[in-house]
Amino acid sequence: MPVDRPTFSESWYRVAELKPRLRSLVQSYRQRYRGRTWHVLRDSANNKFFRLDEASYHFIGLLDGRRQVADAWKVCCEQLGDSAPTQGEAIQLLGQLYQSNLLDADLPADAAGMFERFSKRRRKEVGGYFMNLLFSRIPLIDPDHFLDSWVKAFGWCFGPVGIFLWVVLLGTGLWALTGRVEALWDQKSGILDPSNLPWLYVCMILIKAIHEFGHGFACKHFGQQSHSGGEVHTMGIMFIVFMPLPYVDATSAWSLRNKWHRAFIGAAGMYVEVAIGAAAAIVWANSATGTLPHALAYNLIFIAGVTTILFNANPLIKFDGYYILSDLLETPNLAQRGKDYIYYLVKKYAYGVQRPRDPSHSPGERFWLVVYAIGASIYRVFISVSIILFVVDTLKYMGILLAMSGVIGWMIVPVFKWVHYLLANPELHRVRVRAQLVTVIFVTVLIGGLGIIPAPYHVRGEGVVEPGRIETVFAGADGFIDGVLPSATQVKAGGVDLVTARNHELQIERRRLLAERGLYAAYYRQARSDEPAQAQIVQGQILAVEEQLSRVDQKLAALRIQPNFDGVWVSDKADRMGGMFAKQGEPIGVLVDFQQLVIRVTTDQYVGPQVMRHSGEGSTVQMRVRGRPEVLLEGRVVKVLKAARRELPSAALGYAGGGSIAIDSEDREGTRAQEPFFEIQIEPVTESDVSAPLYAGQRVVARFALPDTPLLKQWWLTIRQVIQQRF
Amino acid sequence: MSISTNQQRMPSDAGPVQTAQVPAWTAPVGAWRMLAQRRDAPKLPKGLDAAWDAGVGLFVPMVPRRGRYLRRAERVLGMEDEYHGLAGSALRERAVQLRGLFRLGREKTADVDCALALVREVSRRELGMEPYREQVAAAVAMVDGCLVELATGEGKTLVATMPAVIAGWRGRGCHVMTVNDYLAKRDATGLGKLYSACGLNVGWVDGEMPPPDRKRAYDADITYCTNKEAAADYLRDRLQLGRMRGLTEALVEKINHGGMGGVDRLVMRGLETAIIDEADSLLIDEAVTPLIISTEVPNAEQDQAFEQAAKLVSRLEAEEHYKVNLRYRDADLTRGGKAYVAELCDGLPGIWQSPRMRDELIVQAITAKELFLNGQQYVVQEGKVVIVDESTGRLIPDRSWRHGLHQAVEAKERLEVSPAKDTMARVSFQRFFRMYRRLSGMTGTAWEARHELWQVYKLPSVRIPTHKPCIRIQHGDRVFGSSEARWTAVVEDIRGVHKSGRPVLVGTRSVEASEKLSSMLTALALKHEVLNAVRHEEEAGIVEQAGQPGRITVATNMAGRGTDIKLGPGIAKAGGLHVISTDRNESGRIDRQLYGRAGRQGDPGSAIAYVSLEDELVRKYVGGASRRASKRSGDREVSGSRMSRLFSRAQARAQRLARRQRKSVLKSDDWMEENLGFAGREY
Repeated sequence: MPVDRPTFSESWYRVAELKPRLRSLVQSYRQRYRGRTWHVLRDSANNKFFRLDEASYHFIGLLDGRRQVADAWKVCCEQLGDSAPTQGEAIQLLGQLYQSNLLDADLPADAAGMFERFSKRRRKEVGGYFMNLLFSRIPLIDPDHFLDSWVKAFGWCFGPVGIFLWVVLLGTGLWALTGRVEALWDQKSGILDPSNLPWLYVCMILIKAIHEFGHGFACKHFGQQSHSGGEVHTMGIMFIVFMPLPYVDATSAWSLRNKWHRAFIGAAGMYVEVAIGAAAAIVWANSATGTLPHALAYNLIFIAGVTTILFNANPLIKFDGYYILSDLLETPNLAQRGKDYIYYLVKKYAYGVQRPRDPSHSPGERFWLVVYAIGASIYRVFISVSIILFVVDTLKYMGILLAMSGVIGWMIVPVFKWVHYLLANPELHRVRVRAQLVTVIFVTVLIGGLGIIPAPYHVRGEGVVEPGRIETVFAGADGFIDGVLPSATQVKAGGVDLVTARNHELQIERRRLLAERGLYAAYYRQARSDEPAQAQIVQGQILAVEEQLSRVDQKLAALRIQPNFDGVWVSDKADRMGGMFAKQGEPIGVLVDFQQLVIRVTTDQYVGPQVMRHSGEGSTVQMRVRGRPEVLLEGRVVKVLKAARRELPSAALGYAGGGSIAIDSEDREGTRAQEPFFEIQIEPVTESDVSAPLYAGQRVVARFALPDTPLLKQWWLTIRQVIQQRF
Repeated sequence: MSISTNQQRMPSDAGPVQTAQVPAWTAPVGAWRMLAQRRDAPKLPKGLDAAWDAGVGLFVPMVPRRGRYLRRAERVLGMEDEYHGLAGSALRERAVQLRGLFRLGREKTADVDCALALVREVSRRELGMEPYREQVAAAVAMVDGCLVELATGEGKTLVATMPAVIAGWRGRGCHVMTVNDYLAKRDATGLGKLYSACGLNVGWVDGEMPPPDRKRAYDADITYCTNKEAAADYLRDRLQLGRMRGLTEALVEKINHGGMGGVDRLVMRGLETAIIDEADSLLIDEAVTPLIISTEVPNAEQDQAFEQAAKLVSRLEAEEHYKVNLRYRDADLTRGGKAYVAELCDGLPGIWQSPRMRDELIVQAITAKELFLNGQQYVVQEGKVVIVDESTGRLIPDRSWRHGLHQAVEAKERLEVSPAKDTMARVSFQRFFRMYRRLSGMTGTAWEARHELWQVYKLPSVRIPTHKPCIRIQHGDRVFGSSEARWTAVVEDIRGVHKSGRPVLVGTRSVEASEKLSSMLTALALKHEVLNAVRHEEEAGIVEQAGQPGRITVATNMAGRGTDIKLGPGIAKAGGLHVISTDRNESGRIDRQLYGRAGRQGDPGSAIAYVSLEDELVRKYVGGASRRASKRSGDREVSGSRMSRLFSRAQARAQRLARRQRKSVLKSDDWMEENLGFAGREY
C-alpha cells in the first residue's frame, strides 16, 4: 500500500449511513498511560473491557444514535485532522466493538450473527480447556454481593491504618525469626514429608483463598473510593498443573484511574499473604517444636514466603507480579505487546516489511517491551520444560500425553505458524523472498552453528577429598598397652612410637626359651663328646628353639609401632587405651598423610566410560569446591576404576548426605547408590594453594573435558538421557 | 435518488425485448425467491479445514470424469434413432413429461440422458445442427455442475443449450452468461426456436433495457445476459429491498402494513442456475473486479484538489522526490519529497494542510502520472478516460478506477474531473457467482486454474477432447532483445505469410501496440483491419471475416470472443489461419485462447508468439534476469528454451500474485461479513 493510512475505504458505504451508538450499559473511564489519554470501555453486563485511544474515543463519542457514522467521521476529521481515524480504521473499530457486543445499531439485531459469535466463543473456550489442561480456569461463584457487605469491615486494611499495621506486623514477624533462621532452614526438609502434605495443601488453599479475597476486597475498596465500580463477579477454581487453587477475576481494576491503586489491587493478594506469614512467624517462634500449631505455622510461613516470591511476585508469568509491573510501567498488555514489538522489529529490520504496524505507543515503552519479551520468553522455555518434566515424572503415561500436548502447544504450533506466515501472509508479499531467505539463513546458521561447529564439552562428577595415604595401625601383637601417642600428632617416618605395649607372657616365654636354649646348648656340648650321633639331633632342637625365640622377639618388637611414613597420627581412643589389652590385629588408630590428597569422584554411567575413553589417566581436570564456587583448582586423573560399583566412597556424595547421587532407599547408611557408578581418582595439581587449601572430606565438583562436540549433539544427548532415565 | 453503475448505466430507453408468454404466477414466486435468496456466499474454510480443502482440491481434478462423461454421451447418442422417429407432437409430449420430472426434482440419471437426447433431436430439427459426442459429453458434465474445457470453435453456444433446457425445465430461472450484450442477443434470438420447441421461453438483457423489460427477461425460463447485467440487476434489487433483508422481514412487513415494500419492483427472481461462457475470464480474471452501484456526489473542492495535485506533481522529480515500483505498480514519496511537497503546499487551502491527506493525493497523482499511461491503461475518447483491460487490451467504457484514481488520471489529462461517487452497493463477481446454487461453465482454457476453481467455486474442471484432432502447428516463441526488433520481425512474418495468401490474425496487448503495428503495416502498404474499440457487432463482423484469403487483422487479444473465424475457400489447403501473438500475457490461458483461434475444428493453422525482453511481463516479474539478458543480446534474436522458460517463470509469478490477491479479497470479504454484522449483510 503506498500510503500508511489511506483515508478512504471501499467498504465505507456499508457503515456510512448507520446510526450506531454504544450500548447504554457501557461505561467509560479515562486513564493516562505515559502521557497519553486512553479510554477504557467497560461492559457492565459481562465485565469485559475495551481500550480506545483518544481519537477513536472521540469518534465513538460522537455516535449518539442520531448522528450518522459518516457525519461523525467528518466532524472528527475536521476537529482532529490527521490523527482522526481513517475510514478503514473507523470500520475496524466499529467491527471490533460490535464483536465485543458493545455496539447498538439502529438495525434489527443480527440474531444469527450474534448466535454464531456466541457459539464460536464457546467453542474457543471449550477448546481452550482441552488445549490447556495444565492451566485451566473454572468460574464458579459471584462474590460481588458478599464483598459489598463486608468491604466496610475489611476495606481499612488497604488504607493508611492498614498499611501501618501491616508494617508493624511484618516487623514483629521478622523480629521473631531473627536468630532462628537456622531452625527455620533446617525444618524445610520436613515440609514435603508425606505426613505433612495434607496439612500443607490445606494451608495452601486457606492462604490462597484469603489471598484472592485480598484482591477482591482491595478492588472493591478502591473502586468504591473512586466511584468507578470495582465489581468482582467471578470467583472460581483454577488448575495449575492439576493443583486446584482459588482465583478471582479482578479485571474491573482496569477502570481505576490511579495506577497505584491498580498496582495495589494486584499486590493485595501478596500483601495479605505476607501479613499471614508474619503472624505465622510469631506463632512459630513461640510454640514448641513438634506441636501442631508449630508445624502449621511453618507451613504458612513457607507458602507465604516461597510461593509468593516464586509465583505471585514473578512478573514473567501472568500472575500478580505481571499486572503490578505493567501498571507501574504504564504499559498495559505488556506481554502481548512485548511479543508484538519483537515481531515488529523482526519484520521491519530482518524481513524489510514496508510499514509494519508498530505496537508501541511511545519511545519510552519500547525498552520495556523488548526487555520483558526477551525475559519472558526465556523464562517461558525454562518453566515449560520444568513443567513437562514434572508432569512426566508424576503421571508417567498420562503425563506423556499431557507433555506432548504441551510440546505441541508451546513449540510445534508456533513453528508451524511461523512457517505459515512466511509462506502465505499477504504482509510479506513484496519481501517474501527476503523474509524466507533471512529466516532460512538464520535457521541454517543457528543449526549449523549448534550442530556442526564443535563446542567445548564438559561433564561433571562429584567427589570427596580424601588423604592420599591412609593406613590403619593395628596392634602388632597381643599385649597391654603402655602408651599411645596422642591423636592428631604430626609424626615422621620411623620417629616416635605410636603405640607401645608390653606382654609379660611373651617375655616369660622368651626367658623360658633362652633357658631352653642354654639347656640344649649344654646337651650339645655333652653329646658332641659322648655320642656324636645324638649331637646332630640336639643341634636341630637348638635351631627350633632359636626359631621360636626369634618369633617371640618379633612379637615383642611389634608391641612397639612406629610410623612408616610422614603423616598425622589419628586415634580416637588414644587417651583411653593405656593399660588396656589389645589383641593382635585390633585397630588402634590411623596414620594419615594429609600432604598428599586424592579426590575420589563418582560419575554416572555415562560420564565414567566417556572420561575413561577420552581423558584417561594423566589428563587434567578442573575442580571447584562445594561452597566455594570462586576457587578453581586443577587436578590430574590418577586412576579410573574400570568397573562400576555401588558402594559410595563417602555418604557425603549421596542424597542423604547432601550429594547428588541417588541412594538406594533400602540402605540405612546412605552409602549404597541406586545406580552403579564409576570412580575416578584425581590428584590435585596446584597443591595446597594458600588461598584455598583442600581438606579431606570436602566435596568437590570435577569438570572433565571431553572432545569438543557440537552443542546440538550435546543437548540431544542430554534430552535422550533425561528421557531414558525416566522410562 | 439517481442510480448509476460504475460499469453500467441505468437503462434509460426501451430496447427490444425477446418476450414470450410468461405465466402469470411466476412473478410473485420469483419475488419470494429473491427475498429468500441467501446473501452470504459460503465462507472460505479456515485453518485445518482450509488445508483439507486444498488437499481435496488437488485430488478433485484427478477424478477421471472425462471418460465417464464420454461414455454417457455415447449412451445419449445411442438414443438417436429412437428420437429421430418421433413425430413433432410426440416430441413435445416427451418434453412436457420430462419438464414435470425436472420441475419436481425427481429426475434420474436416465432422465437426464433422455433430456439431452431430446434436445439434440430438437436442435437437429430446428437448427439443423446435431451436437456430436464431445458436445454432449460437455453438456452432461455441465448438468453435473462442472466447468468444461472445450477448445475454441467446438460449438460452445450449442453445448450451453442442453444444460440450459434442463435448468429451464426446473423452473427457477437459468442465467446463461455471455461475454457481451451482442452475443446475448444473438444467442437468445438464434436459439429461440430450439427453446420454444422444448416448451421454454427465452429472454435476454442488455445494458439499455428498462426495468420492466428486464423483469420480463428474467422471468423467462432462460435468460441470456452478461455477468455485469446480472450482477447489477441483483444489486439494484437488493437496494430496492433496502432494509428488508429477507423473507421473514418481508412477511412481517406484509402482515403489518399490508404493503409489499419494494417487492413488486424487483427485477430478478433469485440466483439459481448460471451457465457461464468463457468462465475462466469471469471466474478468475475478472473475479475481484467489484461491480459498484453508486451515486454521484459533486464536490467542487475535491475536484480542485485533484487538479491541484496534478499540477504539484509536475514539479516533482522522479527518484529525487518519489520512487516508483513497477512490479507492484505503486509509488511512494521519499523523505525529501515529502518535505518538498509540504513546502509547495504552504499557503494552499484546507486539505493541503493535512500531511496525510496531502501525501495521499500526491501519491495518487504520481501513480496516475507514472503508472497509468495513455494507450496502455486507458485511452481518451470524447473527453473521457476509457479504461483498457490490461489482460485483453479491450476498451471497457463505463468502468472507472477506484479510490479517486480515475479522477487523478482525468486531472492529469486535463480533462473535466468527473464527480466523486458514493458507493451504494458493491459485489465482487467472485462473491456474486458463489451465490448461485448451481454453477457450471465452459471455457477454452480452464485447466491451469482448476485448483482455484475448485477451492473458490467448488467447480470441478473437465477437459473434453476436441471432436477432430487439432492439427494446428504451434511454433516456439521467438524472443528478441529489444521491442523494436520484435516489431520488425512481426511485420516480416506478416508480410511473408500474407504473400502466401493465408489470412493473418495479430493479437496485441494494448491499444498503443495495435496502433503502432498498424502504422508499420500502413507504411508497407499492407491492407489490414484494426480492432481495438468496443463495437461488438462490427467487431464480430470483422472477426468473422478474418479467415478470408489475404486478410490481415490486428486485434487486441480478446476481440471478437465468442465469434468463430471461418476459413475462406482454399485457405485450409494453403495452411489455414496464422495467428501471431505480439506479447505473452500474464496468464498462459489468455495466450492459449489467442492461439486457439487458429486450427479450430480440425482445420489447419499455425500460431506463434513474438516477444521481447523489454516486454512488461518479464520486466515486471523477472526484472533482473530479463535486464541482464537484454543487455547481452542487444537487438538480436535470442530464441531458445532458456528464454522461453524466463517467460514461463514470469507468468507463473504473475499468476501466483493474482491468485493471492483474489484470495485476500475473499478473506477480507469474510472479515467484513463477520465484523460488520451490525451493518446488515452485504448485498
